[in-house]
Amino acid sequence: MKIENTKAQMRKGVLEFCILSVLKDEDAYVAEILSTLKDAKLLVVEGTIYPLLTRLKNADLLSYRWEESTSGPPRKYYGLTETGRLFLTELSSTWNELQNAVNIVTSQKHNKNE
Amino acid sequence: MNKTVNINLAGIFFHIDEDAYLKLQGYLEAIKRSLANSQGSDEIIADIEARIAELFNERVQNNKQVIRIKEVDEVISIMGQPEDYVVDDEMFEDEPDTSYKQKSTTKRKLFRDADNAYISGVSSGLAHYFGIDAVWVRLAWILLVFGAGTGVLLYILLWILVPEAKTTAEKIMMTGEPVNISNIEKKIKDGFENVSQAAKNVSDSVSKAAKNVDIKKGTNSIKSTSRTFFDSLADAVMLLFKVFSKFIGILLIFIGASTLIALIIALFSVGVADIIHIPGFENLDILNVGNTPIWLVSLSVFFAVGIPFFFLFYLGLKILINNLKSIGNIAKFTLLGLWIISIICLIIFGIRQASEHAFNESYIEKTELPVTANDTLIVKMVHSHKFNSKRRHDDFKLTHDDNGNKILYSADIRIMVKSTTDTIATLAVIKNADGRSFDAAISRAKNIDYHFDFKNNTLLLNSYLTTHIKNKFSDQEVDIILYLPENTVVYFNSNTEDYIHYRTHDGHLVSNKSTNHFIKILDNNSKCLDCPDSEEDFNIEVNTPEIKIDSNGIKVESDEIKININSNGIDIQSDR
Repeated sequence: MKIENTKAQMRKGVLEFCILSVLKDEDAYVAEILSTLKDAKLLVVEGTIYPLLTRLKNADLLSYRWEESTSGPPRKYYGLTETGRLFLTELSSTWNELQNAVNIVTSQKHNKNE
Repeated sequence: MNKTVNINLAGIFFHIDEDAYLKLQGYLEAIKRSLANSQGSDEIIADIEARIAELFNERVQNNKQVIRIKEVDEVISIMGQPEDYVVDDEMFEDEPDTSYKQKSTTKRKLFRDADNAYISGVSSGLAHYFGIDAVWVRLAWILLVFGAGTGVLLYILLWILVPEAKTTAEKIMMTGEPVNISNIEKKIKDGFENVSQAAKNVSDSVSKAAKNVDIKKGTNSIKSTSRTFFDSLADAVMLLFKVFSKFIGILLIFIGASTLIALIIALFSVGVADIIHIPGFENLDILNVGNTPIWLVSLSVFFAVGIPFFFLFYLGLKILINNLKSIGNIAKFTLLGLWIISIICLIIFGIRQASEHAFNESYIEKTELPVTANDTLIVKMVHSHKFNSKRRHDDFKLTHDDNGNKILYSADIRIMVKSTTDTIATLAVIKNADGRSFDAAISRAKNIDYHFDFKNNTLLLNSYLTTHIKNKFSDQEVDIILYLPENTVVYFNSNTEDYIHYRTHDGHLVSNKSTNHFIKILDNNSKCLDCPDSEEDFNIEVNTPEIKIDSNGIKVESDEIKININSNGIDIQSDR
């Protein structure tokens, strides 16, 4: 078992949730989503996001509209749909529970070690 | 100086160096392949191309500037390796699908490796398949070739039936490496083939493979909801079944191949024998009363037996090697037709052969012998140095007579003795033969040469019959009936023993046990003149110091008494 794989799996597990979160307040095009995620070091390479976006779009969690760009090709602006919002709310609560649970478990272990 | 290419990436125009273009194209192809099993791959590719165009756009100041390999490398490092696109799928599975990788690493397929071929690549393909060095496989071939040419046949069959690894994906499957993007890229970089051709083939085959995996994943996810003990049991049973089927496959190949080889050797030797006339093989021609051409018969036998075994062999190969080429419907139906034709030929041949025995006719020659009552007749067999065998039904031999003609020898001779009320003895020679018709049987019977000699009251009977080879072997036999007047005495030499035919209810008077004895012929009866009386034959021999019983008499000697009984009388002496 390689540590890199585990790390990547952990990161990817929350990626879906993070993309939805980025789009919670305002629509964004791919480069913007990417820069947010990359700044947060959640993504190392960009390639991963494209299949994910398509999948979310196909699941009706995301919708997009085209906007012309002054430099370069037209951009796809993604935004949350109603289902996407519900989904995000669900995921947020799950994430909080999970975070809580992980905190308890890891700190318990920490206490025991002391 | 570099040649440049113009490309349209997401609707934006770029000048790009040719080497950079090839690299970018390979990269996009690789991504396409890795996405082949995800939904909406075209859309994803379009998004990726748009993003790449965006990235390129950031890197060129004006539309005269050319994209170089450096820019492509930068973009690839930002976008990530093709594998980064594909692993994404796994997180959407209810259960990480590990079987895909295991499957692709363990499953090898048999292809011919034309790149490392000496002849056709069968050996190196097999070497890849078994994971050994090709040298060992080639060594095995050489050994098999010396082993009665088995290797040559097997090699040619494999050459025909095993497909050549043409596409990169097939080449990778052949070596048993998992078909993933980096392996395919490695192979392409190794310069196996024209890049675009390979990419096309690979993407085709990979998407096919991906479809299979998709189906597998589907079933897996259904199963995973309740993966129970029974599932593992089913897996174990499946594994057992697989091993069993491989075993059956090996068995079928073995049976099929050995039968085919035996048939080919047989066909070859009969064919050669038919052409150059090896002595002994002409026997086949003698048996062949139906006059069917030998080559037709042997070819019919070859196909009638060989074709089913070929299919067995093919089935076995198919069980063992799952990507075997089909021999094609034309070949299958040709073989089936050939098989039916040869079966019909054999049936016709059988009927013709059988019809030759439809009639069994006899031709009788009678000769009077100057033997009258109270004469003694001695009967002896005369053996031929050319045909010196014991009497046996259906035995025959081919040889040449004194004039160099080919003749057929047989020892199917029977001797019977009967009594007659005539005053003179008669010898009846009954020649029997089979034939398609009454006339054919009679003429065959007439064509039997059989000779005997009579002088000084001695009858010399040949122990064999001969006939010309053109008459074929058709159950030719000779029955000799010796009619003897009453009160003649006959003496059969011991060499007649095998030939005497004895059935009391047919009125036969001499059995093969009474050779070497003088037999007196009575009215429908016979009497042995010098046979030892079975009751007189009773012998007791006792030899101890006190008592001695032998042919001389009985002697009893003790301290007190001596008794001596012999032909002179009885003598008793007592010391007291």
